[in-house]
Amino acid sequence: MSTETHIEEPALPAQGELYGYLAEYDTPGELVEAARKVRDAGYTDFDCYSPFPVHGIDPAMGIKRTILPLVIFGGGFSGALGGLLLQWYCNAHAWTWNISGKPTWSIPANIPIAYECAILLSVFTTFFGMWAFNKLPQVWHPLFRLDRFTRVTDDGFFLGIEARDRRFDADKTKTLLQEAGAIALEPCYYDPDPKTRMMPKWITAFIVASTAFALIPFAIAAKARNSHSAEPHWHIFPDMDFQPKAKSDTANDLFPDGRTNRGEIAGTVARGWLENDDVLYHGLENGQWTTGFPKTHRDGTPFVVDAKLLARGQSRFNIYCTPCHGYDGRGQGMIPERVKALGGVWQARNLVEAPQADGKGGVVIQMPNGQLFNTISNGYNTMQGYAAQIPADDRWAIVSYVRALERAQNASTDDVPADQKGAVQ
Amino acid sequence: MSALTKSLHPDEKIKAGKLGQKMTMAGVGIAVVFLGLSILLGATHGDNWKRFLYAYVTGWSYIASIAIGMLWLVMLHHLTRSRWSTVVRRIAEAMTGAFPLIWLAGLGFILPVALGYKDLYYWAHPDAHNAALNPTIVHKAGWLSPGFFALRYVIYGMVYSGLSWYFASTSRKQDVTGDPALSTQMRVVSGPGMILYGFTTCFLAWDVLMSLAPKWYSTIYGVIYWGSGNIAAFAALGLIVLWIQRNGRLTHSINEEHYHDIGKWMFSFTFFWAYVQFSQFMLQWYGNMPEETNWYKYRMFGEWQWISIAMLACYWAFPFVFLMSRWTKRIVPSLVFFAVWQLVFHWLDMYWNAMPSYDWLVASHGGASIVQGPLAGNIALHHVGFTALDITVWLGLIGVFLAGTGRGLRDNLIPVKDPTLGLSLAHEVM
Repeated sequence: MSTETHIEEPALPAQGELYGYLAEYDTPGELVEAARKVRDAGYTDFDCYSPFPVHGIDPAMGIKRTILPLVIFGGGFSGALGGLLLQWYCNAHAWTWNISGKPTWSIPANIPIAYECAILLSVFTTFFGMWAFNKLPQVWHPLFRLDRFTRVTDDGFFLGIEARDRRFDADKTKTLLQEAGAIALEPCYYDPDPKTRMMPKWITAFIVASTAFALIPFAIAAKARNSHSAEPHWHIFPDMDFQPKAKSDTANDLFPDGRTNRGEIAGTVARGWLENDDVLYHGLENGQWTTGFPKTHRDGTPFVVDAKLLARGQSRFNIYCTPCHGYDGRGQGMIPERVKALGGVWQARNLVEAPQADGKGGVVIQMPNGQLFNTISNGYNTMQGYAAQIPADDRWAIVSYVRALERAQNASTDDVPADQKGAVQ
Repeated sequence: MSALTKSLHPDEKIKAGKLGQKMTMAGVGIAVVFLGLSILLGATHGDNWKRFLYAYVTGWSYIASIAIGMLWLVMLHHLTRSRWSTVVRRIAEAMTGAFPLIWLAGLGFILPVALGYKDLYYWAHPDAHNAALNPTIVHKAGWLSPGFFALRYVIYGMVYSGLSWYFASTSRKQDVTGDPALSTQMRVVSGPGMILYGFTTCFLAWDVLMSLAPKWYSTIYGVIYWGSGNIAAFAALGLIVLWIQRNGRLTHSINEEHYHDIGKWMFSFTFFWAYVQFSQFMLQWYGNMPEETNWYKYRMFGEWQWISIAMLACYWAFPFVFLMSRWTKRIVPSLVFFAVWQLVFHWLDMYWNAMPSYDWLVASHGGASIVQGPLAGNIALHHVGFTALDITVWLGLIGVFLAGTGRGLRDNLIPVKDPTLGLSLAHEVM
């Protein structure tokens, strides 16, 4: 313990009334010990000041645990409820909008926003609650008038007892602080100008102004909801709303034909789009529907009808053709079923129907491959063309699969290999 | 007098004495009794050991996740130069010392799969590799093959055992030499160690638990398994520390401040679990793709719905709200209550992950009868079907974990010459 305690009577000209005494201690440990002594002496209006949080200072000063966590819980809870309310109001009440038949108000989709709102309000409550409970900011605090006190943000550990404490007595208080091991002790006086003891006007003005500004968007929204206007709505980010780019299928003054879309230049073909193989792209061989298959794929590899091609054809067929024609090709897919369920009568073409004895029926089975390919590409009656969705290679794969399907759906026991016939029969 | 650092209390009992043997003996006893009982129940269950093995995967994932969680604490301690955890680190190291025994016990379900058992993992069943029915499984066939699966299991075991051995033995070396450079060395190793650990844990979760439903996809699954495991790991740490104190050791060194921090980790992982679990759920719910939503479909509706609701209410909401307060973590009986509570519901979590895959659909396809596995998405098919076996296997495997942990409780129960010990002893939660 230092014995060189010295008392500097008024460091500044004693202009105002006495605020209290400020004692400096050498270490955080001594500060805690001094706080305990001051508390035990019955003082309540005193505070400790240190550059960093000191372990154990709260119980030493006799400070109860803060209720801030409870307030934060309240803040977070209101945030979550507010987030849910906001989403309910926007999506399910004020502006219901059917998105793919989903419910307008759906809890799983709302959780992330409710969660973020809970976080936001808890953080705000924590931050502003801490300031409020500590009665901060106090930039006009009288202790700032002492030069010594500037070291509180560096290496000074201070304890200040206020003169308004009912136990305060100039001599006894000084003795107590000294006995607790103060290395320096000095009185602190208020500034004589009472204005400096209040919150500066500009801080109040700033808070009022920013609150008022924050209310402007709400006011505009409220006005817009309750009035009609012939004016176009505001563009807050015009460069996002009107981007300097041309969108397809729009008018454009730049080109003589007034269209944004630029076609191919006459007499040219885009790379890879020559499509001069009549069989592969049109199903034609010497002007007639081909009965075979193309010689090569689009990429030039040989076209072979094998299990792999059939599997590809099956997968494409199941995706594009089955909704109408059904998995077995008999024209009873989900859409005809739906028509039936709704009381209508409509059936898609039976792809695997065998021709009757009188030559009727069996249209598809009698079609040459090329014509079947052309039907897939360009459509027939109410069937749309699929050239845009399915590449030519895949359309030929479907042709091969339809041929396989026709064979399978009209199979007889003669198709079974001789050595396995017994198992079937 | 508050101080930043303290020295060990002169009367402190820091030697384990017979404590470790006691725990090992108890663990072996529990394991023998309950696994023996489980084998009897499993053999008479009449499903070719399928229920037994499903319960075994559930229980094994449970004990593995606890050791994995504690290895994380040990590495995090070094990586961040933590102070509070120095006094409990030796106990955490003892819990990671159970890895070799846990991995040996895991052979109980790994060996059958490696040797051709087909009813546990659907991907091991030949019908799973039907390209027309299960294109996604065929796509994963290279990864999900019994031999490679067993090989990976061995690698994971070596990574975990190696890391835990390194940290435990280096820490003990410091007890003798008191060399502060060893702390630095462990910190340097824990960086890459943590990365290795992260990958290993994710892959382990995908392999052991997630591949029970091999058609399903989730990339966050390993994180969920890890987060859930850490709840149980910190709960188990709290209980073991308390047990050691009740036996007259470390009574002065570990106090409510350290229990408070253990409780805080339990709390944060309780929330973390819900957070990542919801992250997985919401993406799949929003995306609404059949191969993803199926997994939730038979957990959200039908019999499993009630287990899912119980998980949400008991594994998250209730402990989350109560562990939020300070006192629930500082009053030891209250912390014990929540530790036991979370340890029970962690088992339910593992059960909820593994067991819905138990029911497989057998359907006719192309005239033949074909096993379609657990992801048929048929709600009526998936039963909770709770059996006594589920509990006995779990208890037996907890015995294995205790036997493995007891091995590490020897000599000093606290790293006596760790440079941060003084700070840890004086630790106070503000």
